[in-house]
Amino acid sequence: MRQVISVPVSVTLEYNSKSRKVLPKLVHWDDQDYPVVRVGYHHTFREGRTLFHIFSVDTSSLFFRLRLNTNNLGWTLEEISDGEVD
Amino acid sequence: MEKLIDFSFNPKSPTLLHLDLNSCFATIEQQANPRLRGKPIAVAAYDSPAGCIVAPSIEAKKYGVTVGMRVRDGKMLCPHLIVLTPDPAKYRNVHLQFRKLLENYTDKAIPRSIDEFVLDLEGYPAYRKGMINVAREIKEKIKREIGGWLTVSVGISTNRFLAKVGAGLNKPDGLDVIDKNNFRDIYSKLSLVDLCGIKTRNAIRLNNAGVYTVLDFYKASVQKLKAAFGSILAYYWYVRLHGWEIDNVTFGRRSYGNSFALPKPLLRVEELAPILQKLTEKTGMRMRKAGYVARGVHLAIAYRDNSFWHKGVSLPDYIFDSRDIYKVAFKLLNMSPYRSPDRNLAVSCFNLERVKNMQLSFLEDFDKKQKLVNAIDLINERWGNFVITPGGMLGTDNVVIDRIAFGGVKELEEIVI
Repeated sequence: MRQVISVPVSVTLEYNSKSRKVLPKLVHWDDQDYPVVRVGYHHTFREGRTLFHIFSVDTSSLFFRLRLNTNNLGWTLEEISDGEVD
Repeated sequence: MEKLIDFSFNPKSPTLLHLDLNSCFATIEQQANPRLRGKPIAVAAYDSPAGCIVAPSIEAKKYGVTVGMRVRDGKMLCPHLIVLTPDPAKYRNVHLQFRKLLENYTDKAIPRSIDEFVLDLEGYPAYRKGMINVAREIKEKIKREIGGWLTVSVGISTNRFLAKVGAGLNKPDGLDVIDKNNFRDIYSKLSLVDLCGIKTRNAIRLNNAGVYTVLDFYKASVQKLKAAFGSILAYYWYVRLHGWEIDNVTFGRRSYGNSFALPKPLLRVEELAPILQKLTEKTGMRMRKAGYVARGVHLAIAYRDNSFWHKGVSLPDYIFDSRDIYKVAFKLLNMSPYRSPDRNLAVSCFNLERVKNMQLSFLEDFDKKQKLVNAIDLINERWGNFVITPGGMLGTDNVVIDRIAFGGVKELEEIVI
């Protein structure tokens, strides 16, 4: 099931200076920690001049679509999914 | 007497590579959400039962789900079909990643659509690696650098058309070469409608001229094909099937337009006007950003009863302000003789010019108007589209949303790296 939501969320981000990659490591949502297992895709887009990063990440129980607003460095949880039919 | 045209299949080594991202939108969604991988999914314009499927995944295609099918029909064929709505920003991003990767091989990497590229390696260092090796390397790099779930079908040949045919031979993840050594064998396995550009009507035309197979098509003289097509198309097809290039043409921008498929049947002008206004705002903004002004406006309406009406007007003066485009389009809307619910509304501007100095008018201050429009465009660019909009557009937040043109390549010019 897929659910579109729009709530602020806590995200732990890791930057690796050797590989020069930034990866979300942990999503804290609804009083639970979800360690990120893999990043499916990372892309960016602009709304006006504001740059947004979208991280599509998978955890052991749920998929999360996370949005980082580079203007205020705030994270928003946009979507969750368990990959099953609605 | 007409000069006879007769030449054999192009003997040169293939240098053109056609690359096609398999089930593009659906595969990208599966790349982003690993939980969808291996499952039948479909990206549809709307996830409602009447929504049109624009991209079924490879798994959904096995159930018979095809492009253009309604969501309700797709779910009848595949009850556990997962339906998603499009995410244009994500698809454009993948397109740009592809473009960046392919530009390492040649500066002649031309996008043919959001999910198709043609590379001409003639005279480039990469050609020395061998076309098949380059194709394999690109496939591997796509998996490593863009996404491990993404697969592409590659066709290699002596012209663009046969390279595309080659890319369609073994989907997904195919790699096929069509050249002087194997073209007869490949043609013998294809039917006429397998060729891009030949569908039922053209196949009937060819059948009437005694052409029933692709090999017949290849062997037919230009005169025979002229009897079938009755136009220059006969010559084009003759050249294409003989492996020579005829499609290396790019058409310049001739119009800017936007269209909207109405999710519910609207009939009254008052209901259609806000949508028309949003369409003209989008069209005007894109046209001005590219530095054009227009001297013509066109409106096309498709109705629910499958009837169609369209009208275009040429204007005495150039227009650039979306409000002026709207005024003309609104007049056209009122001219429509049909009074039945609409299915699709499309507006476009034509007779484009890049004009630095507009003809001054006694009645209107163009300079003032241009400054105002530029200021509004700058604000919208800074804070996001539609921050400042005409009042008539109120209530249109969820209509005419961002879309990727079907098979279009013109809008790709507007994507920048």
